[in-house]
Amino acid sequence: MNRPLSFEDELTTLLPRLRRFAHALARDGSDADDLAQATIERALRSKAQWQPGTSLHGWCCRIMRNLWIDTARSRGRRAAYEAPEEAGEQVGSDPRAAIEASVDLKRIMAAMSRLPDEQREVVALILIEGFGYREAAEMLDLPIGTVSSRLVRGRNALLAMVGEQ
Amino acid sequence: MIDDETFFAWIDGELSGPEAARVEAAVAADTALAERARQHRAFRQRLSGAFDALLEVPVPERLTAAVRPPAEVVDFASARRARSLPSLPQWAAMAATLAVGVMLGTMVPDRGAAPVEAHGGKLYAAASLGHALETQLASAPAGDVRIGLTFRDQSGAVCRTFTQSAAAGLACRDQDRWQVRGLFAAPEGQASDYRMAAGIDPNLAALVDSTMAGEPLDAAEEKAAKDKGWR
Repeated sequence: MNRPLSFEDELTTLLPRLRRFAHALARDGSDADDLAQATIERALRSKAQWQPGTSLHGWCCRIMRNLWIDTARSRGRRAAYEAPEEAGEQVGSDPRAAIEASVDLKRIMAAMSRLPDEQREVVALILIEGFGYREAAEMLDLPIGTVSSRLVRGRNALLAMVGEQ
Repeated sequence: MIDDETFFAWIDGELSGPEAARVEAAVAADTALAERARQHRAFRQRLSGAFDALLEVPVPERLTAAVRPPAEVVDFASARRARSLPSLPQWAAMAATLAVGVMLGTMVPDRGAAPVEAHGGKLYAAASLGHALETQLASAPAGDVRIGLTFRDQSGAVCRTFTQSAAAGLACRDQDRWQVRGLFAAPEGQASDYRMAAGIDPNLAALVDSTMAGEPLDAAEEKAAKDKGWR
C-alpha cells in the first residue's frame, strides 16, 4: 500500500527544515514562525507551479527568501536596529530541547540579524541549509562570484561578532 | 597566493581536482593559513549545529495546521439538524452554520437579488448567480460572477465552481436548480482580485477534490453539457 506522497505530505516532512531556514533569516523565533507560516500558505496557493521531480526544499526556500525580502523592505530595516539582544529569545517551543545549543543559537541569531540582508541570505542558504554555491546563485539570480564574495564577508563578520567558543 | 573566495570554496567542499590540491598544498605549507582553516571549519560546524537544534524540537501546531487547513465546508442540512434553532428565521440559522460570516453580507445584498436562497434546509443559487451557473461558460468575460471548473460528481451530477464578490463556492445540479455545496470567503485582502480557479482557495480545492469524479470538462464538453440542460 505505497501511495505516492502528496504535495502536502512532502511539505509536512519539510517543516523542520523550513523552520530552520526561517530562523536563519528572521529576527527572532516568533518572526521566524510567522515567516514559515506565510511560506507554507504561499506554497499551497502556488502548488500548481511546482514541478514534481525538482527539489521542493529549494522551491520553498526561494519562496521564503522572497517573502522575507518583501517584509524586510516594508519594515524599512527598522528591525535590525531595534533591540537586537532580544533576538532568538523565543527559539523553539520545547524548553528542554538542546538547551546548550539554543543558548549559542540565540547569540548567533542576534549576530545574523546584524548582517546586511544580502550577506545573511547567502550565509543562511549555504552554511545553514547546506545548498551548494551554484544552487544558491540560481535561487538568488546572482552570478556565482557575487555569492561567494558575499559569503566571505558574511562569515568573517559573523565570526568576528560571536567569537570562537 | 590563495584569495579568500578560493580559500572558503575549498573549506566548503566546492573545489575538486587540481584546484583543491593547490589550496591544500598552500594550507599545509602555511601555519597561519592552516590555523585559519581550522577556525573556519569549526565555525561552520558550530553555525550549522546551532541551527540544526531546531530540527529536533517539535514543530508548532500552527505550522502543521497551515499545511492542511481545515476545510470550512458547510453541510447545511446536517448542520441545521445538529443545532436546532427552531425559533430563529431560516437565514439566521444558516448564518450560524457558516464559518465565514463576512460572506453573507456580500451574498445577500437585498431580498430581491440574493444570489442564494434556502429550500428545505438546502441552499440554492438564485438571481445573478443562478443565471451565471445556468448560462455562462468558463470562457465568458469576467462579469459579476466568474465560472471556474465544471465537472461531474460521483452521482453524475454536473458541478461548477464560481466566484462572486468576495466569495468562492461550488454548486451542483439538483433537478433543475443549482445546489450550493460550499461557500468560502476569499482570503483577507484578496477580495478585489480574487480569481476563480479552484486551485487557489485551498478549502474550495479540497471540496472539489472530494466531489469530482474523473477529470474536469474541457471547453467543448462544458458547452455540450450546457446544451443538454446540464443533464
